[in-house]
Amino acid sequence: MTSLVLTITETLRYRGKLGQWAWVLHRVSGFGTLVFLIMHVIDTSWATFYPELYAKAVDAYKTPLFTAGEFALVALVIYHALNGFRIALFDYRPQWWRRQADAAKLVLLGTLVLLVPAFFIMAGHVVSYYNERVSVFDLGLEKVIEATAPFAIGTVVVIGLALVVSAGASFIPSLNAPKKQLKGSKMETFMWSFMRISGVLIIPLVFGHLAMMHLIQGVFDLTRVGHVPVFTNLGPNMEATLTAVNFVRLRWDTMLAGVYIWRIYDILLLFLVVLHGFNGLRYIINDYIHNRVVNRALRLASFGTMIGVLVVGALAILQSVPATTAEMLSQTSQVLIETNVNLLVR
Amino acid sequence: MKATIRIRRFNPEKDKKPYWATYTLEDCEPTNRVLELLHRIKWEQDGTLTLRRSCAQGICGSDAMRINGRNRLACKVLLQEFGENPKIQVEPILGLPVIKDLVVDMEPFFAHYRAVMPYLVNETPPPVGPDGKPRERLQSVEARERFDDTTKCILCAACTTSCPSFWANGAYVGPAAIVQAHRFIFDDRDQLLKERLDVLADPDGVWRCRTIYNCTPACPRGIEVTRAIGEVKKAIQAGKRDF
Ligand code: HEM
Ligand code: HEM
Ligand code: SF4
Ligand code: FES
Repeated sequence: MTSLVLTITETLRYRGKLGQWAWVLHRVSGFGTLVFLIMHVIDTSWATFYPELYAKAVDAYKTPLFTAGEFALVALVIYHALNGFRIALFDYRPQWWRRQADAAKLVLLGTLVLLVPAFFIMAGHVVSYYNERVSVFDLGLEKVIEATAPFAIGTVVVIGLALVVSAGASFIPSLNAPKKQLKGSKMETFMWSFMRISGVLIIPLVFGHLAMMHLIQGVFDLTRVGHVPVFTNLGPNMEATLTAVNFVRLRWDTMLAGVYIWRIYDILLLFLVVLHGFNGLRYIINDYIHNRVVNRALRLASFGTMIGVLVVGALAILQSVPATTAEMLSQTSQVLIETNVNLLVR
Repeated sequence: MKATIRIRRFNPEKDKKPYWATYTLEDCEPTNRVLELLHRIKWEQDGTLTLRRSCAQGICGSDAMRINGRNRLACKVLLQEFGENPKIQVEPILGLPVIKDLVVDMEPFFAHYRAVMPYLVNETPPPVGPDGKPRERLQSVEARERFDDTTKCILCAACTTSCPSFWANGAYVGPAAIVQAHRFIFDDRDQLLKERLDVLADPDGVWRCRTIYNCTPACPRGIEVTRAIGEVKKAIQAGKRDF
C-alpha cells in the first residue's frame, strides 16, 4: 500500500500502454463532470425555488471563465461517454481484448471527430453573443466567485460535519471490526452492472441534452428576449422567452401528446447521471482514502450530497407548476417503474 | 558494447529515502540479459546490491522488477532490445513494501493468493484404477483446455504490481490472485464454485478491477490476464461456470 501522492506520481511514471492513460482520463473526466453536475442541478433548481438566484447563476455562466469551462465540459463528457462505452463493451466481451487498444484509439478519434463540429458551433454562439454586445470584454471575476463560493463553502461544511459524525462513529465497535475474510457483496455486484447499463443509457440522454443546450442553442440564448426555447414548439403553448427562469419553465411546461416530455427527460437524466456519478465518486474515495475515519466521512458526505441533489433536483422539476404536480408525479413514476423493470429483465 | 544502468537503491538501515545509483559496464553482449548485468554489478562493483533470483530462466518468478518503466522478469529481457548503447533503468515493483534495493516483501501478495483458495476441492472419493488403487480424476480435453491459460502462472507478481487499482489500494486481491482463482473456477473437477465466486465478489475482489489492461502486457508468461478477470466477473454475474 502506498501513499496517495506516491500512487499518483508512480501512476504517471509507470509506462503502461494506452489503456492506463485512457483510465486516467476516464477518472478525471468523470470526476470533473460530477463536480459540474452538483453545481448545475442545484443552480437549475433555483429556477423553481429562487428565481432571482437562477438569473444570477446564468449571468455568471455567461462570463468568459465559465465559457472556457463549458468547452472543457463538453470535451470531458464526450470522451467519458465514448470510453465508458468501450469499457462496458470489453467487460461484457472479455475475449475481444486483443482489440481493446484499437478501440481506445478509436475513442480518441471519435472524441475528436465529435468535438470539432461541436466546438465550431459553440464558438459560433460565443462570437454572435460578443458581437451583439456593446460593452468591452469583462472577465466577470466577482460573478464567478459569487457563483462558485457557496459550493466551495458548502463542500467544506459538509465534509467537516461528516468528519465529526464519522469520528463519533469510531466509538461504535461493530463499525470498526477489522475485516476477516473476503465475502461476496450483492451491492457491489449490482453496482458493477449498474455503472455499465446506466452509462450506456446516459449516452443518448446527455448527448441530447448537450445538443439542445450547446449546439441548437447556447447558454447565451437562455436569456435572449423573444427567443423560443429549444423544442418547446412541439405543443400548443409555444412562447418566446424573456428570462432564464422563463426559459426553464417553458421547457418544463412543454407537452407532447399530453406528456411533459422535458420533465420526464430531465428526471431520467437526473437520476441516472447522479446515481452513476456518485457511485463513481465512491470508487474513487475507496481507492485513495484509507484512513477509516476520513474514508467513512467522505463516503457519508458524498452520500448525503447525492440524496440532497436528487431531492432538490426532482422537486424542482415536479413542482415548477404546482397545479399539475400530482399528475406529473404519476406520469414520471410510471416511466421510472417501466425502466426499472427493463433493467431487471436485462 | 557499453551499458549504463540506473538502479533505484534503498537500504533501510542507512537511507531515509530511496535514491538512484548509476553503473556502467563494459564488454556487454546484445544477448546478455538484464539479470546478468545486475549480477556483474553485484560481483564486480558493489556487493551490497540486493536482488532476488533463482532459476534465471523465467520459471521461478523471483525476479520481477520495473525495467525501463514496465514490469518484466530481469532474466527474460535481452540487452539487444535497448539498441547500440543501452541505457536501462531498474527499480522494484510497485505497491509492495521495499525491503532492500530490488527486493520487496511478497507477503501481502501471497496473502491475497491464499485468500482465493488456490487448490482443488473435491469431496467425492477418487476413481479406482485397475490395480485397485486410487487414481487421478480424468477430464476431457475440452474441459482441460477451458482453463489452460491460467495454469501457466508462476506467481511473479508482475501483473498485480502493474495495476493502478492495486497501487491505489493494496486491499484489492489483484490480477494474479484472480488468475489463480480462474484456474479453479473453470475446472469442472472442482466442487467449490459457489464459495470461490463469493470470495471474488467481495468489494476488494474482482470489482476493484477497472479494465485498465496494464496486467496483460506485464505477464511474462503471456497469460490473457484481463480476459481471465473478465470471465470471472461474468461467472459471478451469472452465478455459474458457463455464462
Ligand atoms: C455519457 C455516458 C456515460 C458512460 C457510457 C459512462 C460509463 C462509465 C463506466 C463504464 C465507468 C466505469 C465504472 C467502473 O469501472 O466500474 C464510469 C465511471 C465513472 N463515471 Fe461514467 N459514464 C457516463 C457518464 C457519466 C457522467 C455524466 C458522469 C458525471 C456525473 C460520470 C461519472 C463517472 C465517475 C465519477 C466514474 C468513476 C471513475 C473511476 O472509477 O475511475 N459518468 N462511467
Ligand atoms: C453548460 C452546459 C449545460 C447547460 C447550459 C445546461 C442547461 C440546462 C438547463 C437550461 C436545464 C433546465 C431544464 C431544461 O431546459 O431541460 C438543465 C437541466 C438539467 N441538466 Fe443541464 N445543461 C448543461 C450540461 C449538463 C450536463 C453535462 C449534464 C449531465 C452531467 C446535465 C444534467 C442536467 C440535469 C440532471 C438537469 C435537471 C436539473 C434539475 O433536476 O434541477 N446538464 N440543464
Ligand atoms: S499472471 Fe503472469 S504476471 Fe501475474 S503473477 Fe502470474 S505469471 Fe506473473
Ligand atoms: S530468476 Fe526465476 S523467473 Fe527470473
